[in-house]
Amino acid sequence: MSTAPLIEFNNVSRTFGTGDKTVTAVEDVSLRVDRGEVYGVIGFSGAGKSTLIRLINGLERPTAGSVHVLGQEISAMREGQLAKVRSRIGMVFQQFNLFHSRNVAGNVAYPLKVAGWKKPAREARVEELLEFVGLTEKAAQHPEQLSGGQKQRVGIARALAAKPDILLADESTSALDPNTTGEVLRLLRRANEELGITIVAITHEMEVIRSIADRVAVMDQGRIVESGLVYDVFSSPRETKDASFVGAALKNRPTAEDVQRIRGHASGRLVVVSLQNAAAVSSVLGEAAAHGVSFEIVHGGMNTTKNASYGLLTLALQGEDRAVEAFVAALNSAGEVQEVQE
Amino acid sequence: MIDTYRALDWSYYGPELLEAIFDTIYMVAWAFLLGGLLGLAIGLTLYTTRQGGLLANKPAYMAMNFIVNLIRPIPFVILIAALQPVTIYVIGSGIGNDAVIFVMIWASTFAIARIVEQNLVSIDPGVIEAARAMGASRLRIILTVLLPEALGPLILGYTFVIIALTDMSALAGIIGGGGIGNFAIVEGYNRFNPEVTWLAVIVVIVFVQSLQLVGNWAARKVMRR
Repeated sequence: MSTAPLIEFNNVSRTFGTGDKTVTAVEDVSLRVDRGEVYGVIGFSGAGKSTLIRLINGLERPTAGSVHVLGQEISAMREGQLAKVRSRIGMVFQQFNLFHSRNVAGNVAYPLKVAGWKKPAREARVEELLEFVGLTEKAAQHPEQLSGGQKQRVGIARALAAKPDILLADESTSALDPNTTGEVLRLLRRANEELGITIVAITHEMEVIRSIADRVAVMDQGRIVESGLVYDVFSSPRETKDASFVGAALKNRPTAEDVQRIRGHASGRLVVVSLQNAAAVSSVLGEAAAHGVSFEIVHGGMNTTKNASYGLLTLALQGEDRAVEAFVAALNSAGEVQEVQE
Repeated sequence: MIDTYRALDWSYYGPELLEAIFDTIYMVAWAFLLGGLLGLAIGLTLYTTRQGGLLANKPAYMAMNFIVNLIRPIPFVILIAALQPVTIYVIGSGIGNDAVIFVMIWASTFAIARIVEQNLVSIDPGVIEAARAMGASRLRIILTVLLPEALGPLILGYTFVIIALTDMSALAGIIGGGGIGNFAIVEGYNRFNPEVTWLAVIVVIVFVQSLQLVGNWAARKVMRR
């Protein structure tokens, strides 16, 4: 196996329009995705995620920079030359984009026809895929007869049909309810773990990143403002804008409104403590009385990522100033403590 | 005048009517077949060369769009007269059923081109993007995605055009063609035989209704509703 990244962006920009109306969808993005990983890109809508993911299979062209995928410079190829490399990249869409003129089996078989598979091999592969996504008995049904989750499972089976190396998931769960979202995410995870497919998933839902991604990039106004392992990025977001995005999505950090509401019933000093080491924080909290401090938990929560848990707890501390100060110092040794801005 | 009054004389009107029906079917069928294919080609050209299309090409789109807009508004009876030199050059004669067919092909081609374009525009661009993402060639996308996805509405559009062609064919008489329209005017109207005219009306109603029923049935079957 080569060590070269499967996907590599070098200073890629994509602008639309000309003159005053120029809109920059992607600005100076560099990133690399390695074989076998699940790479998540998260951001508000309009952040340029859709354009970014389409640069990977050449549905969009960069206006500057280069995109290398599977050892080829996608950004330098003409539409007609892209067919071969595209057959090695599956894509799943927010609105499923199933062919209504074909039944479920026909949808899954389509990319195999494009790739030139013979009929017996095609039929066997379709059967195998429908079993993988649990829709064997729906083979002869048409898309309009399926629920949203079933449609997306067909979309995934279709995207996996030609045994791609890469799967692009474009807001693959944004049109689905929470239960169905879980179902689809489990399927994507299986595709990654059992079939070894590299996944790039763009989303505005933290849930998607938490449950499937190994690494994450946070995108804002066309730029990647932060990237790294999911745990690192979420547990201690660097940039303030990013912190507000992550905090808002996780609902762990109290907003100004939350603080106002908390102040309605709790007095004392408000601090937020990070739960990266939840056990240590718990033991410090157990010693609160010994410090002569009483505390009330007023806000917070835990989140679980693919490999770890993290969270934030907001406490209202009461006691003598000196005692509280000593207690905060003790807490700070167990987990990072931040004052709540009021 | 008396000797021309054959209101319900089936031994005379029967064969006349049969021949008229045959002429109408002959004209409509040929014009529909050739106009349908040419219209499909031009409609696909319009759709694919549009901005953001699979073969986006602004000059080609504008040129084609201009030609379609130029021909389409011409009333059929004027088109018959205006195309006369071209008809004589291509068909070898400016009169008769074949000359009428030639003009009907022009009219139906440009009507169908618009109908094809309009129905393709309503296809969700997402399915085209999905096919592109799978590496399907542009020709394959046109044949295996665009046309099948729009098939139901296309059948209804073509049904509309075949009925419009029946309407056009009724004017064949003015350049020596036959058909139901000619039968109604020559045998009915000109000879003060309203019963004969009404007979033609009934035949046309049955003809058009049958086409519409078949078209609706086929479209429903394709669209599964």
